[in-house]
This record gives sequence, C-alpha cells and structure tokens, in this order.
Amino acid sequence: MKIFYFEFLKLRKKSRGWIGPILVFVLIMTAFPLTVEFLNEDLDQAFFSVLWIALMLVMMLATEDIFLEDYNDGSLEQLALKNQSLALILGTKIFIYWMLIGVPISIIGSFYGFGITRSFDLGLNILPILLVTSYIFLNVFSFGNALSLTKGSVLGTLITMPLVLPLLVVLGKVVISINIGLNYFGFLVLLLGILSIIIVVIPLIISFIIRAHLE
Amino acid sequence: MIKKFIHQFASPKTYLFQVTRAYPYIFVTSILIYIISIFWGLFLTPEDFVQGNSYRIIYLHVPASFISQALYGGMAIASAIFLIWKVKLSAYLVKSIAPIGAMTTFIALISGSIWGIPTWGTWWAWDARIVSTLILFIMYLGLISLHDSFANYEKADKFLAVLVLVGSVNIPIIKMSVEWWSTLHQSASITISDKPTIDPSMLYPLFGSMIGFTGIVVCLVILSSKLHIFVREKNKSWIKDYV
Repeated sequence: MKIFYFEFLKLRKKSRGWIGPILVFVLIMTAFPLTVEFLNEDLDQAFFSVLWIALMLVMMLATEDIFLEDYNDGSLEQLALKNQSLALILGTKIFIYWMLIGVPISIIGSFYGFGITRSFDLGLNILPILLVTSYIFLNVFSFGNALSLTKGSVLGTLITMPLVLPLLVVLGKVVISINIGLNYFGFLVLLLGILSIIIVVIPLIISFIIRAHLE
Repeated sequence: MIKKFIHQFASPKTYLFQVTRAYPYIFVTSILIYIISIFWGLFLTPEDFVQGNSYRIIYLHVPASFISQALYGGMAIASAIFLIWKVKLSAYLVKSIAPIGAMTTFIALISGSIWGIPTWGTWWAWDARIVSTLILFIMYLGLISLHDSFANYEKADKFLAVLVLVGSVNIPIIKMSVEWWSTLHQSASITISDKPTIDPSMLYPLFGSMIGFTGIVVCLVILSSKLHIFVREKNKSWIKDYV
C-alpha cells in the first residue's frame, strides 16, 4: 500500500507525464474530423479506427519514460534491492499509470464515441473495451520501454508494436459486432483473458529485464 | 551419454568444428535437391487448371513462408534454452537466425506479391495472412535492431531472448490467420492431420523444394552463426588455433 501511495504521488507530481498523454489524445480525437468530409456517416466510419490508433499511440507516449527517471536517479536499483517483489512494485507502477492515464482516456474516448456517432449506447459499450485495452497497451509498451530503457523509446516502440497489432484485429472485430448489433461480450471476455495473463506475466518479465539492466 | 553429448555440442568450439565438417555435405545435397525439385516443378508438372503456369511460384513461395515461421519457432526454442540453461551457443544461434529469418520472410512477401498479380489481380491486399507476415518481417527487423543497439553482448543476448519468447505469441496467429479470418489467401494445402489437397504431380516437387530450401537456409544459418562465434569468441585461444 505504501508503494502504491508513493508511486501515485510520484506520477501525480510529474503532471506532464499524465496530463500530456491525455491532452494528446483529446487533440487527436478533436482534429480527426477535420481530415474527413463533414458528413456524419464518414465520421462514424473513421471514428473507431482513429480511436484505437490514438489509444495505442497515447499509451506508447505515456510509457515513454516510465522507468527511465527511476533508473537514472537510482531509485530503481533501490527497489530491486528491497525484500519486496520487484515484479509487484512494477505491476503497481503500471496500474497507477493506468489509473491516472488509461482510465481518464477511456472515459474521454467513450464521450467522443457518443459525440461523434450520436449513440449513447455505443459510447457506453466501448467504455469497458477501452478500459481493458488501455491496460493491455500500457503493459506491453512498458515491456518495450524496459527493454530499450537506455536506448530511447523509438526502439521500444519498434519492438513492441508488432505485438499489439493482433489486438487491433480483435478491436476491429468488436467494432463490426457493435455496428451490426451483435453481442460483443465474447470479445470483451477474450480481452479480459489476455489482460489477466499479461498483468501477471509482464511485470515478471520487466523485473527480469530491469535486473539485467542493473547488472 | 545423451547429456554428455548435449553438453559437448552446446560448446561453441564443438559446434564450430562439427558444423564446418557437415556444411559441405548439407550444402551440396540441398542445392541438388532444390535444383531437381525446381526443374521438376517448372518443366515436368502439368499446368494448373485455374491458375495456369503462375502457380509454379509455389516452389519458392511455400518453402520461404514455411521457413520464415519455422525459423522464428527455432529462435523461440533456442531463447528458452538460453534463458533456462544459460547455454551461450543458443544465444549465438538466436542472433544468427534473425537476419536469415528476415530474409526468408522478405522472399515470402515478394514472391507472394508476384503471385498475387495474375491470381488476385493485385500485388497487395490488406489480408490477415499477408499483414501478419509483414508483421513477422517487422518483428525480425526489431529483433536485429534490439541486439545491435547494445554494446554489451551479454545484456543484448538476454533482452533478445526475452523479446523472441514474448513475440512468439504472434506465430500461431500468423499460422492460423487463414482459418480465423475470411481472407483472400487460401488455406494450407498440406496439413499433418488431413490428406493434401494438392495433386501428387505438384506435391512431390513441392516437398523436394521445401527440403532443399530448408537445407540451403540451414547452410546460411551455419555461416551466420560461424561468423557470430568468431566475433564473440575472438579472444579465446582455440579460435586462434582454428583460424
């Protein structure tokens, strides 16, 4: 709990770290209607594609320096020396990023869903999908940034983006289901299944990588 | 005895000596098999009823696609061996396979595009199998960049192995993409469980080309791994004796 509070305070104080990605998301979602004809049908068609890609990009941005500052100031080394599990600490850190960045973005995304498609149901339906997907993205990109910790985020992005592309395919299927009125609950369960594996495995892998960096 | 053999062969020194000895045999046999299969496939098999002569590109496209995925599987196994048993030869192999994997994936993509023009009327389609193969190609490039970005080889080996293992989740997706999504790309004609849907006159040269191509790729992996061993073990006395 102490670690949770400590990590929460750290991210909250670093406002550019969490407000920045949220604002970038808002900007992308606000700017995209300018690139298509002002017909609602065109906006509806493009909306989901832009939403998923914007979510992915913003999660990528959000995790850009998730471990770098801690690595540079030595606090990551201190955490690794603690008796407590490093994987748990890193998992908590990712969870806090999700709370401060992923959750607001998901809520804003569902508002945009309502605003652009004019369908309240649709806006509400995509909220759980956004919440789960943003957490998956955060975990995967944190893994990439842990690998390329001292080598810049471009490398981290290059090596982890192919890993999330299958997820975009699933999201595409969700949109088709929602649009033709099918039950998309199965896809939500699939995403939850992926998430449940990821939240256990990724912090363990990241802790292994961080220890290798500290060696 | 098996354990002793594995331990012996897992040493870069033994590996280097053994593969150097085996290399000419593998190379000559593979080239011969591939040339015979290509000749058979190009000149002795009949035309396809629907696709005409354009189908003959399968003798390059199918082996390249098969090998591009198989190499990733091989890298994943080698990575697991490296992370679990700390066998450094496995790490050398992972690093050596990555560029060859990228090359075979590229061949698969290009040959698929060439085949696509007469059969689909387009050289590219945003189809699940094609896109997932492109993702595999990008993954190979990512693996190469990751390893090259670290000056410390030990660290680079560890990170590469982890990424290969995590990235292996994409392999079943690529393999099953033609079953899970409605795609332009046809389903596999040869499967383990079912009878092949391809005519035997085309099937035998296809098998031959796959064996020959695999042998050629094994030779390339041997050359690449030998080069990597020279770089990594350059300060060892045995390497000086070898050279």
